[in-house]
Amino acid sequence: MKKNKSLLWLFALILVLSAFLAACGGDDGETTTPDPAEPADTEETDEDTEGAAEGEAQAGGTLVYGLDAPPEGLFSSAFYGIATDAEVIGIFDEPLIDYNENLEPVPNIASWETEDNKAFTFKFEEGVKWHNGEELTVNDWVFALETIASPDYDGPRYTNVSTIEGAEAFRAGEADSISGIEVVSDYEINITFDEARVNNLTNLWAYALPEAAMGDIPVAEMSASEFVITNPIGIGPFKVDKIVQGESVEFSKFEDYWNGDVNLDKIVLRVVDNSSVVGALQNGDIDMISLQPVSGPEVEPLENVEVITYPGLSYYYVGFKLGKFDNESQTIVEENPKYQNKQLRQAMMYALNRQEWVDAFFFGYANVVNAPVPSSHWNSADDSELNTYEYDPEQAKTLLDEAGYVDQDGDGFREDPNGDEFVVKFSHYATGNPTFESRAQAITQYFEEVGLKSELEMVEVNLYYDMIEKDDPAIETFFGGWGTGADPDPSGLWKADQLWNYPRYNNPEADKLLDDALNIDIVGTDQDKRTELYIEWQKIVNEDLPMLYIAELEEIVALNNRVGGVEYDVSGSNSPAEWFVTE
Amino acid sequence: MLKYSIRRLLGMIPMLILISIVVFSLAKLMPGDSLSGEIDPNNTNPEYIAEMREKLGYNDPLPVQYFNWITGFVQGDFGKSTKYKRPAFDVIMEKVPNTLFLGIMSLIITYILAFMMGMYSGRKPYTLGDNAIAGINYIMLAIPSFVAAVFAIYFFAFNLNWFPFGGSVDILVETGSAEYYLSRLHHVLLPALVLGAMSTASYTQFLRNDIIENSRKDFVRTARAKGTPIKKIYNVHILRNSIIPLVTFLGFDFAALIGGAIITETIFTYPGIGMLFLDSVTNRDYPTLMALTMLLSFLTLAGNLIADLLYGIVDPRIRLE
Repeated sequence: MKKNKSLLWLFALILVLSAFLAACGGDDGETTTPDPAEPADTEETDEDTEGAAEGEAQAGGTLVYGLDAPPEGLFSSAFYGIATDAEVIGIFDEPLIDYNENLEPVPNIASWETEDNKAFTFKFEEGVKWHNGEELTVNDWVFALETIASPDYDGPRYTNVSTIEGAEAFRAGEADSISGIEVVSDYEINITFDEARVNNLTNLWAYALPEAAMGDIPVAEMSASEFVITNPIGIGPFKVDKIVQGESVEFSKFEDYWNGDVNLDKIVLRVVDNSSVVGALQNGDIDMISLQPVSGPEVEPLENVEVITYPGLSYYYVGFKLGKFDNESQTIVEENPKYQNKQLRQAMMYALNRQEWVDAFFFGYANVVNAPVPSSHWNSADDSELNTYEYDPEQAKTLLDEAGYVDQDGDGFREDPNGDEFVVKFSHYATGNPTFESRAQAITQYFEEVGLKSELEMVEVNLYYDMIEKDDPAIETFFGGWGTGADPDPSGLWKADQLWNYPRYNNPEADKLLDDALNIDIVGTDQDKRTELYIEWQKIVNEDLPMLYIAELEEIVALNNRVGGVEYDVSGSNSPAEWFVTE
Repeated sequence: MLKYSIRRLLGMIPMLILISIVVFSLAKLMPGDSLSGEIDPNNTNPEYIAEMREKLGYNDPLPVQYFNWITGFVQGDFGKSTKYKRPAFDVIMEKVPNTLFLGIMSLIITYILAFMMGMYSGRKPYTLGDNAIAGINYIMLAIPSFVAAVFAIYFFAFNLNWFPFGGSVDILVETGSAEYYLSRLHHVLLPALVLGAMSTASYTQFLRNDIIENSRKDFVRTARAKGTPIKKIYNVHILRNSIIPLVTFLGFDFAALIGGAIITETIFTYPGIGMLFLDSVTNRDYPTLMALTMLLSFLTLAGNLIADLLYGIVDPRIRLE
């Protein structure tokens, strides 16, 4: 009998242990599942963070770069789909136009001139070499643009080319070339857009494709060709030597790199499972890697590793379904009455202790936001101009009382103004990451504390966004995240005629501000004037709260002390050419 | 036996057709599709997603979609992976060598360990050693593989530095050189050990029970009476007879070899079929998912057939007509 009991204990222990480990390893759900909160291209902030090793750059050496999710292997700027592939591409390829720490475009290989924001003239650097020895000319860019505009193209970038004059006709097969593109010489090109917009340049696709290598491949077969999968060619400081699918890539220094010296001899990129990241960093098996928030507290105590954070470009929110969208007519056709009361939404915002929540579930690697523009963007409103909705359950209760949400039957929960039962139905996506359920539970508890009965539903992630997009009646309030790119304009996620305006927020006044901020006749090229309009808009959505803004995430990177020359700002890291290692 | 094999092979055709219908319906019944994960304002827009749905035929009626898929499939066109944008066949074939290598290595480890333990247990049943072996075996079976994998990495890779912590090969060695194959072996050993050592229970216990059973049979008594050394009786006479049920296991292992080990492969970042399979499910990568399921179903059927044929070969008393 006694023996049985100790065996029971052993099994219980194993069970507990496995549950614990599942919790640790589970966080990769957040990276590997398609979560719209993952920003695809990160751009820079003004807060530069310097790498670990001090002193002079040294030539030579090998740096091991870790990835915590396997890349898909589409190593071409025009064809990749996920951020992990973009990270790999960033080592061997470069954009023609770069972004500075304020997310403004700056010349890299191409510099530009324009008078009216409609017709642009681009001049290329001479002597830029592809890894196969060919010289980069404007024709490689034209090749990239025409590939993307081709009807056979199977990647997601057409939106970055569609604004060029004649791109539609080219795609429809009515023209042999895009009429808005005019090649002047090998190093000069004119591009005309279909209309003048302030963000024509930031929207334009600014990567070239090697025409000499890829020119003969039909567009439909390009994404499966060797120049994408096994032997990608770029113009960056490192060239790809070897790819072992799904686990590692070897890069070596490109001797003919156009922009100065390259310090490192080699970069080896390898995929590391989340459960091994801390051990691999401690042992020096990897030199640098982006961390999940959950690993941060474990990595920080390591003596040989420095943890660096820089601002990210994504935010999390709790959205309300305020209406229904009709995709045919692109309008919001119906209003849902349940959450139309603004005081109710504001009360729910006051009820949330967002700081506590962020500290508990993002380990401090996130900041509370009060408007849907990440603070690194130049058009982000300062907190002093917004209502910051500090945690105040009393204020929440007062607002609810005022709005008529009072407990009429004495069950401890409030009824709606008509005296009917009121239940906040909150949905969160489920990926197998066990922390998702507890963080969602925490939000419903905040609501319950002010007397709003709440129900949580975890929905499988693939179904989740489908249901939200189709305005499924089962979704009433929902957790979500968005990543914003270099272009800070929120129109695509907020205007009433947009499918991805998930709360179905319909405020013509707010939409007009967004339109004006892009209207070249009103703002010209004056960024201050645009900023004013965007701040005005943020004040409105901060007051209206079609969603409860929760937090913006920080990006976290671990760097071994032997690595130097690495700098981060909102746009990600500096050029790998400047990285070095000390032995 | 030839006639039997042909009959069995023909019988597989309606089975495979049925499986294909089930596989297709189940895949399509999963919520969302391969594009519902691509919603990201940085990367794309709603028009692109709508257009791709149309292009991929997701808007067609289901019977049409099934027919399109199955006609391609029987002609050897498995479709293009929606995630990797390459033919699903290429994506799968790329992972097969890794998975096979890992599977065979772990199977060898399982067999060696199971034979040693099973033979000892069978020879000395109900002793302390036998009980200890059974206890260890069942504990190993009960420990989830991801727990074992994480601990193995911690002790053998990070603390003792005996093995690399992940990957299938060191990328810096030259492909095809002797060093390359050594590096592959070095990388595969730890995951193979975790997989192999954890699944010895069924083999060990089968072998043990069979040895015990056979040791009571008449031919053993005869051999003893003739004065054959005990060692020889066990290692030759009994073992030969006891291997028969194990040989049939080999047939079932056949599908498992290709099927891969989802969790172990992921933790060791060992790119194989298991990882690909899980990935294709979460990403709704229908072509890869359906091709893999069909492949595995076929292998299971083929494995069963092989098991039955092997039965006849190792035990001539069983006749196949």
